[in-house]
Amino acid sequence: MGGLELVYALVSIVVFPGVLFLVALSLFTEYMVRKISARYQRRMGPSYVGPFGILQPFFDLLKLVRVKEIVVSRYGMYRAAEVMLLIGIAFIAGSVVLLPLSLYNVIGEFDLLVFFYMSSVMPLFMLILASLSMPSPYTVIGVSRLLSIITIAEPAYFASLVIPAYLATRNAHPFMSIAVAYANVPALWLNPLTALIMLLSVIAFVVSVQAKSMLQPFNIPEAEQEIIAGFETEFSGPVLGLARLLHDLDIAVTLIVGAYLLLGGPAPFRHLSIEGVLLLVIKYLALLLVIVTIRNIMGRYRIEQALVQLFKYGLVPSLVATGLALTLGPMA
Amino acid sequence: MKIVLVSGNSYDVVYIATIAAGLAFIVLSVLYYTTRSRRVRVTPVYLSGEKEDVVSSVSPSVATLYWGFMKRFARALYDALIGRVHTGSLHDWYKFLSSWLSWLLLLAIVVFVLILVVG
Repeated sequence: MGGLELVYALVSIVVFPGVLFLVALSLFTEYMVRKISARYQRRMGPSYVGPFGILQPFFDLLKLVRVKEIVVSRYGMYRAAEVMLLIGIAFIAGSVVLLPLSLYNVIGEFDLLVFFYMSSVMPLFMLILASLSMPSPYTVIGVSRLLSIITIAEPAYFASLVIPAYLATRNAHPFMSIAVAYANVPALWLNPLTALIMLLSVIAFVVSVQAKSMLQPFNIPEAEQEIIAGFETEFSGPVLGLARLLHDLDIAVTLIVGAYLLLGGPAPFRHLSIEGVLLLVIKYLALLLVIVTIRNIMGRYRIEQALVQLFKYGLVPSLVATGLALTLGPMA
Repeated sequence: MKIVLVSGNSYDVVYIATIAAGLAFIVLSVLYYTTRSRRVRVTPVYLSGEKEDVVSSVSPSVATLYWGFMKRFARALYDALIGRVHTGSLHDWYKFLSSWLSWLLLLAIVVFVLILVVG
């Protein structure tokens, strides 16, 4: 690795689109979620800290990390929880080198699978381990519900990303690469055969993201009325700040990859063009608006209802899309 | 300007992404531990605002776990134990134990002798 390459790699991991950019984006995403939700509920939402209240999530995080005390109890291993959450965040930050957004972009066959493992599986796994590091009966119930939901949500989410990538790269090299796939996605939407498959993938994506991000109607793992705060019950102060940051980062990165693989990212424009950046931002915000709207117009399902609905509207569309992709894909 | 590294080997992608995650972990840890609150509060609170002395023991006893498992998941075995072994009659207990234990004892002796003979 040459000197310039090393500098680009470091900047990509630490500044853009790595740690600093991702944290800023996730806090902005949280701001948008709170602001749009407030509008749906005829409230103002964050308004006072920074212009239009945009710095509210940042100061909330800062307050949790800097001001709030660390609560130590006999059975809680808060240091383990901190390390688990930091590892989860680091996996998400490290996965961005596989995104075309990165200044130092690594491309290879099946890089989508590596990205999926790093940005979706590991963060959830670390969140669960962090929760179990500070155990209580409520935590255990919350974690068991979370595990039940992700058992169905993760395959649906995985399929909703793999299907467009497969269709877009089946005749290209490297196969199943995010950077190669996104440029061919607009063509998939223009072909009637593949447009139907893409539509099913989008439905599976939206439903599964709603579930894996624990947004209504699938927020039963953190149901406050029943189980205090579910898997988050024992988190407080800096640990709670990290857990919320991990949650926000998960949503942000999920939406980015959704904007790339389902909506085509900046395509047909280039990444470094103004049109390309604007188009990417619009697609990101459109996906965000959809999930926040669903969050606000739906109530919470009980766990067994959540699993049935997730199966119906998440897993079934993804399975149908997989079948269609394998049968119609070669003809398209 | 950006650098695109196209790798022919999928393992390279895994290595580079893992190194990137490791570097991100170091940066995040430095940022977190330098800004984190130093105030620590030790709390005896255990559950729902109550201290742990409200419960007789902080974890279920081994016997409770055993009988909980037997009652819920091994109902047939539980019924057999209750109906044939722990009937309250010492004779039933001795009969059960001697029959099964005799067979097991005989089997153990036979195996032991076979090991000694065969080597």
